[in-house]
Amino acid sequence: MLHSVFGKALRESRRGIAAWAIGIAAVGMMYAAFYPSMADPAMAEALRAFPPELLEALNMGDLTSPAGYLEGSTFGLLGPLMMIIFATVLGSRAIAGDEEDGRLDVLLAHPVERWSVVVQRGLAMVVALATAGLVLIVGLVAISGPAQLTEIGAANLAATTVQLVLLACVFGSLALGVGALTGSRGAAIGAVAVIGVLTYLAHTVLPDVSGFEWAENLSPFFYYLGGRPLVNGLQVVDSLVLATTAVVLVAIGVIGFVRRDIAV
Amino acid sequence: MSAVIETNQLTKSYGSRRGLAGLDLEVRPGEVFGFLGPNGAGKTTTIRILVDLIRPTSGTATVFGTEPRAGGAALRARIGYLPGDFVVNGNQSADELLTHLGHLRGRVPHERIRTLAHRLGLDLHVRIRSLSKGNRQKVGIIQAFMHEPELLILDEPTSGLDPLLQQTFLDLVREAKANGQAVLMSSHVLSEVQQAADRVGIIRDGRMVEVEAVESLRRRAVRRVEIHFGEPVSADAFTGLDGVTDVRVEDRVLRCRLAGRADPLVKAAARYPVESLVVAEPDLEELFLTYYRADTEPEATDAA
Repeated sequence: MLHSVFGKALRESRRGIAAWAIGIAAVGMMYAAFYPSMADPAMAEALRAFPPELLEALNMGDLTSPAGYLEGSTFGLLGPLMMIIFATVLGSRAIAGDEEDGRLDVLLAHPVERWSVVVQRGLAMVVALATAGLVLIVGLVAISGPAQLTEIGAANLAATTVQLVLLACVFGSLALGVGALTGSRGAAIGAVAVIGVLTYLAHTVLPDVSGFEWAENLSPFFYYLGGRPLVNGLQVVDSLVLATTAVVLVAIGVIGFVRRDIAV
Repeated sequence: MSAVIETNQLTKSYGSRRGLAGLDLEVRPGEVFGFLGPNGAGKTTTIRILVDLIRPTSGTATVFGTEPRAGGAALRARIGYLPGDFVVNGNQSADELLTHLGHLRGRVPHERIRTLAHRLGLDLHVRIRSLSKGNRQKVGIIQAFMHEPELLILDEPTSGLDPLLQQTFLDLVREAKANGQAVLMSSHVLSEVQQAADRVGIIRDGRMVEVEAVESLRRRAVRRVEIHFGEPVSADAFTGLDGVTDVRVEDRVLRCRLAGRADPLVKAAARYPVESLVVAEPDLEELFLTYYRADTEPEATDAA
């Protein structure tokens, strides 16, 4: 286990994982700490000056309740953004990055199957993202008292973070899958950037565009926050949709990877 | 017993560029095979097919009777492979890397890693990033040899090694051979493999142009000959002799190249008073170059 491809991947990125986990939790906590000033009635008054569609598009439809505030801040924008970037770094490096650096030859000439390398490095990515999620939960629970967010409860904070980790897994798997399929780190990152922006818009803007409401169902962001886990707890079906999507993306990558040539 | 490595009309195309154009290669059990050719001739392409990093466009390749792709991890367990460009994560010590790779191969005794490192003079505890190119190559050599595989596939193994280490490396190859292991090693310099190889194959433009035992290659090899005479001689007396080329005469000194038997040249020289005679060690490089020169002929350079 410790000396497997999985264990090696985790050990080699342990410092990066620690740095990202602390960074993401710190940003999440800082954001959360601003809630008391947002709950001020004067702020609610000020926000009325903005068009509701704009606030909705930024996940800021209801900034004055604890759950609404976190949906617009920690879990609405910077949280997913940082988690997705972290996942993309891990996913694009796992196969494509190593291949571009010429590091795959030595490993793949060893008695380890190619599919297994993709799967083990994918699992290492999941563990890294889950670690960041765990640190985030601890941080948010710790700050929820001083930040007057206790009405959400630790369970729902944890549930939402789980769904955030699953969202990150989808984009990390997209980067891993495209990277395994193409061997190009640029293609892997590009795929996340394009699909990330499109599906984010599909969740935030398209529901307001008549004739395009259906597009929301294709967006991972819909399955992440659409069921309001901060209010309603863990959304099992949404979580399964995200997890299945991630698995399918990795599987597509594996199918391509075992068939193609490894670049020099 | 059948061949350890056998390729039949092996072809690999990269788009319009052709990497291999019908290569036939056979490596027999227990032999050391030197795989020679200029850069870009297809040595690395062949080797990477054998360890299943790339797949042939057509033709067949088998290792221990199995196609590399079908053989999978079980087949690769029997091979030690040194890539032409040994690149690993530099942010770890050689010890960490080799221990990890040893685990992937099952149990490789750490003692074996230490012994090899000691013989090659490698400090296992230095970060790979801060190792010189030669020292990095040692790490690559150790990972190829450490599990005592039945077959060693080494792509340009001596690149970056100083002459003393090249000898240590050749000792390792000879020991592997004595141990019954087969070795395929590539190089673009013949002198690097002629000491250890039983047979040599020369590849050019993706085809094997010649396979020969090193011994007979040596016999056919071109030698530089220099004869000092007691009186001025004429070049005409030596030009056109069987096996003699590049005849140059300066007053009393004859310089020429000699391939094959020395008899005609010696008989011709014997007609004059010979003061001294110098025959350089057979320069296989010279023979080697005659294969390369065909490279410049127009039909061969056409990128089909």
